[in-house]
Amino acid sequence: MSGAQTPVAPPPPAPGRRGRDEVRTVVRGVGQLLITLGVVVLLFVVYEVYVTDLFGSQKQAAATEAINQVWASAETTTTDTVAVTDPNQLVTDPRQRTPRYETLSGEGFAKLYIPAFGADYRFTVVEGTNSDDLYIGPGHYAETQMPGQQGNFAVAGHRVSKGSPFNDLGLLASCDAVVAETQDDWFVYRVLPMQEEGAGWDGTQHAHCAGVGVQTGQYAGVYGREITVPTDYAQVLPVPHVDSTAVPPDAQRVITLTTCHPQFSDRERMIIHGVLTQSYAKAPGFLPPELGEG
Amino acid sequence: MYVWIWRRLPGPTAVKWLQALGLFLAVVALLFFVVFPWLEPYLPFDRMSTD
Repeated sequence: MSGAQTPVAPPPPAPGRRGRDEVRTVVRGVGQLLITLGVVVLLFVVYEVYVTDLFGSQKQAAATEAINQVWASAETTTTDTVAVTDPNQLVTDPRQRTPRYETLSGEGFAKLYIPAFGADYRFTVVEGTNSDDLYIGPGHYAETQMPGQQGNFAVAGHRVSKGSPFNDLGLLASCDAVVAETQDDWFVYRVLPMQEEGAGWDGTQHAHCAGVGVQTGQYAGVYGREITVPTDYAQVLPVPHVDSTAVPPDAQRVITLTTCHPQFSDRERMIIHGVLTQSYAKAPGFLPPELGEG
Repeated sequence: MYVWIWRRLPGPTAVKWLQALGLFLAVVALLFFVVFPWLEPYLPFDRMSTD
């Protein structure tokens, strides 16, 4: 950056030289400013895509640590140390399971597993969907139902940045398992048929599709994946698309995952709907067989 | 702007480079920890506004 060194004395300034020097200084200043702005924009991309992931994963680890402690201390002190190997013995009727836990805004209360995304795909779900909550991990819409309950267990998550929990929702296929773990229960949801699969849907085509079917009645038009606008709040209501917060007596047990769409934008929302197909009581050493579907 | 900064850094060229690197890292840290977290909510990339 140092000026060229000339062995001879500089020539006397020509007429108008002074003006050209000033123009050069201004042009160079503007050029440097533009380069600087470009570098700042690049740094922002690095921040958004990588750095917030680091911050988010730290918050997620802390939330997971906290929920593990809560669950460990709440574990029923039965002396039932016999390892249960047959999942059928632990199958429960979700109608008879009521949450024993309380939720606090910004704190974890459940874990979410999507075996199709790999055996290590696990996120602690926190209560609430403001930006601080979602920095920690997927957030439960506080006014929606809890895992396993009749109605809609609705969870929002970032597509890109802040740990990117829901980046791959676009890769979910119908009948893929979405498993929620709470203090006492495992709830296995399965993604509903996609719109394009609706007409020729055959629920017997795959063992995973038991209990998964094209929706009818008040649920007609609820599909496995939907792209919608951010104001489409009815997606997370007890019966998706039905503009009522009341849970009808014959309501299903639905899970809804929401994230930004398309990637790197928040212009639209991607919605995943699934239904509860299986539930298990938790037991020491027991993991639902669905977790191994990866 | 950068020429002006470079001229004011003391010491030989190698030391100047080290100082320039330190200044750059300081600016990056300021951006990552202060400016970008503040700026982010105003940009339309990942706002999960949920009404």
